[in-house]
Amino acid sequence: MAADLLTPLPCSNITLLALIALMLPLLSFLLNSGAVARYAWQASIAACFFMVLSSLISMIILVHVWNGTTFHTRMTWFVLGETGHTIGLFIDNPGALMIFLVTFISLLVHLYSTQYMKDDPGYQRYFAFLGLFTFSMMGILLADNLLVIFVFWELVGFSSYLLIGHWYHQAPAARAAKKAFIVNRIGDVGFILGIAVLWAQFRTLDLETLKEAMSSSSIQGESWVTSAGIALDTRWLTFMGLGIFMGAVGKSAQFPLQVWLPDAMEGPTPVSALIHAATMVAAGVFLMCRVVVLLDMDALSVIAVTGGLTAFMGAIAALTQHDIKKVLAYSTISQLGYMLMGVGIGAPGAALFHLFTHAFFKAALFLAAGSVIYALHQYAHRHQLAFDAQDMRNMGGLRAKLPVTFIVYLVATLALVGVPMFSGFLSKDALLSASFGWSEAMASEGHRWTYIVPVFAFTTVVLTAIYMGRQVLLVFFGELRIKGPADGLKESSHMIKFVLVVLGLFSLGIVWSLDPFDYHASWFLTLMPIPASSVPGLEVFVLDTARANALDSHTVVGLISIVLVLLGFGFSWFKYRPRASYALGYQGRAGFSFLEQLSFKNWYLDPLYRRLIVNPLMSFSRAASRTEKAIIDKFIDVTGVGSVIFAHIVGWFDRAFVDGFVNFSVFFAGKVGVLAKSFQYGKIQNYIILAVLSTILIILLIL
Amino acid sequence: MIPIEHYYLVSAVLFAIGLAIVITRRNAVLVLMGIELMLNAANINFIAISQHAGVPGQFFALFVIVIAAAEVAVALAIIIRVYRHFKTINLDEVNEIKD
Repeated sequence: MAADLLTPLPCSNITLLALIALMLPLLSFLLNSGAVARYAWQASIAACFFMVLSSLISMIILVHVWNGTTFHTRMTWFVLGETGHTIGLFIDNPGALMIFLVTFISLLVHLYSTQYMKDDPGYQRYFAFLGLFTFSMMGILLADNLLVIFVFWELVGFSSYLLIGHWYHQAPAARAAKKAFIVNRIGDVGFILGIAVLWAQFRTLDLETLKEAMSSSSIQGESWVTSAGIALDTRWLTFMGLGIFMGAVGKSAQFPLQVWLPDAMEGPTPVSALIHAATMVAAGVFLMCRVVVLLDMDALSVIAVTGGLTAFMGAIAALTQHDIKKVLAYSTISQLGYMLMGVGIGAPGAALFHLFTHAFFKAALFLAAGSVIYALHQYAHRHQLAFDAQDMRNMGGLRAKLPVTFIVYLVATLALVGVPMFSGFLSKDALLSASFGWSEAMASEGHRWTYIVPVFAFTTVVLTAIYMGRQVLLVFFGELRIKGPADGLKESSHMIKFVLVVLGLFSLGIVWSLDPFDYHASWFLTLMPIPASSVPGLEVFVLDTARANALDSHTVVGLISIVLVLLGFGFSWFKYRPRASYALGYQGRAGFSFLEQLSFKNWYLDPLYRRLIVNPLMSFSRAASRTEKAIIDKFIDVTGVGSVIFAHIVGWFDRAFVDGFVNFSVFFAGKVGVLAKSFQYGKIQNYIILAVLSTILIILLIL
Repeated sequence: MIPIEHYYLVSAVLFAIGLAIVITRRNAVLVLMGIELMLNAANINFIAISQHAGVPGQFFALFVIVIAAAEVAVALAIIIRVYRHFKTINLDEVNEIKD
């Protein structure tokens, strides 16, 4: 690798600010985890204040990168052998927008949580982990290096584990936290393998350097050769892309790893909002947007198809859920599918756009759902009723009781479904047009199967309208299905209403584009750089054609999607309207048909995984443990007993022979000493006798 | 003229008696006397041989007598000191070597 690409870059004011914005949530974590329990409330207010500061700083950064300049600060982290590892901050337009989004949504969630969680015994812990969660997410957004991103990536997984398992003493929450953690690990295996391939090939993980290195590498025959002359089989190029995508599949809940997200609803509702809107699931999409220029055509196609399929599957699963939050969870899976599809079809700008609009309206939906749950919970508490406050079968007719929540929910729903004038229409239109343009361009290259992606995407539009229409009708229209006194059900506090209204405002189309019918007029997309992909072997012209096609077809696509939305709404009104048979029989609903079961059970993925993966793994591990006990332990036991016996023999030998020899020599020396001593015992006359005798002896000898 | 062998015999007997006294007696003064006897046995030998062979050995005898006198003076002084210290002049008891 050319060393000049890895030289340290000086620190600028902007990166310093970014560092401060990054450290503030960490500070909040430390403060909240270190504060005395008596000051928990003050610490949480300080946490909100830190988030205000952090989002203000993000706004300053955003203003500075607005004109397209990028800021990059880098230093050498450590040196292993001769290769240095660098660490640094990188900020460009998408990154600056994302840190603003994360800090802003996190701020709103902090504010909301001060009310929502105020009676929770784990209040302090909750705010500490919120800080850690935000910090880790910011780390992913600001890091310039895949290794550092991976570290923060794991931190996000860990802190989400902590937050989903906030009520860890309840078995489902603990299980959900564990599931989210383990499923994410599966994806991370792929991620780290992808990183390993990049490292093997380029000897660096710095993203900016990787882009340069990737464009200077080339395909020669069957091998992928870098400018430094390192060659790998071309399949590794695809493998690398799929590996990194696998990480995103885990974090962003794509097929086949989407099973953790619905279960993650066991966490507190503000956390669900944070996970779904800005932090965890967005990490995968953002990562893919960062590395999209390193992916080849095969990997991109796989991503597009996976995204489309996930969008469809998530929407189907959302159709029949009863838990108000689960509908939103499956809807998130579906929308994330859209975003990754956008990455795969070479429209990462549109994907990020959808990520943004989705972040606001989905946060609004979740926090509004939280408001509904909170209100029902208070109601149940006040009248000593026992019912599940999250189950839509117990709701209905809340429109009049919770007007602000209802309006925000309605606005966010219209945005999610993609009705013109609302934010979701713009971003979804961008994605739909791009998918249509992409499949046209691919089909002209002979890949007719790629039409499956827009088919999935357009079907999902109808499904989205159906399930969101169903939810709004079942929750807010009709009569309250739970039997109880009429009074006592009232809107939550002003803080919650304030947060909801802010998020609702951001779901309006006018915020994102002055012309609410044309996404090309959106300021957001003009900020997004078109990725200059130069992966060797990539048919860049296909992506260019796709973009041109998307431009041409966007009016038609927009009209089609409006028609589809109307169709979906019409269907859901027809089926779920108040006083229709479904709504009347909803409270005691049972007896599912197979198709409904398929949707309700999320395509039977959980039982499938249980049967295909978990159970074989469990029996394998049980077999392994039995083998361990029966054979390996026994072998070790036998070895142990043998050694003990051998040791006894050796000990006996030691005592009898070695010690015997030593003792004997001591004894012998002692005896000799006694003998020698016996001549010297002070009897002077004996000395004289000896002297005389010796003299006589000498004389005799001489004579 | 008495033959020389008789002197030798007397001298040897005297020496043997002196040695026997030195070895057997426990009293330090008596041991000293035994030593005197042995010295005088040597003196007899000196004088007898000088008389018979005509060599001037009598000087040695004189020296021996002088040395014996000096030795007795020193030795008696030592014995007095020993007596003062041990309250006995029994040689078996004048012994500080302990087993």
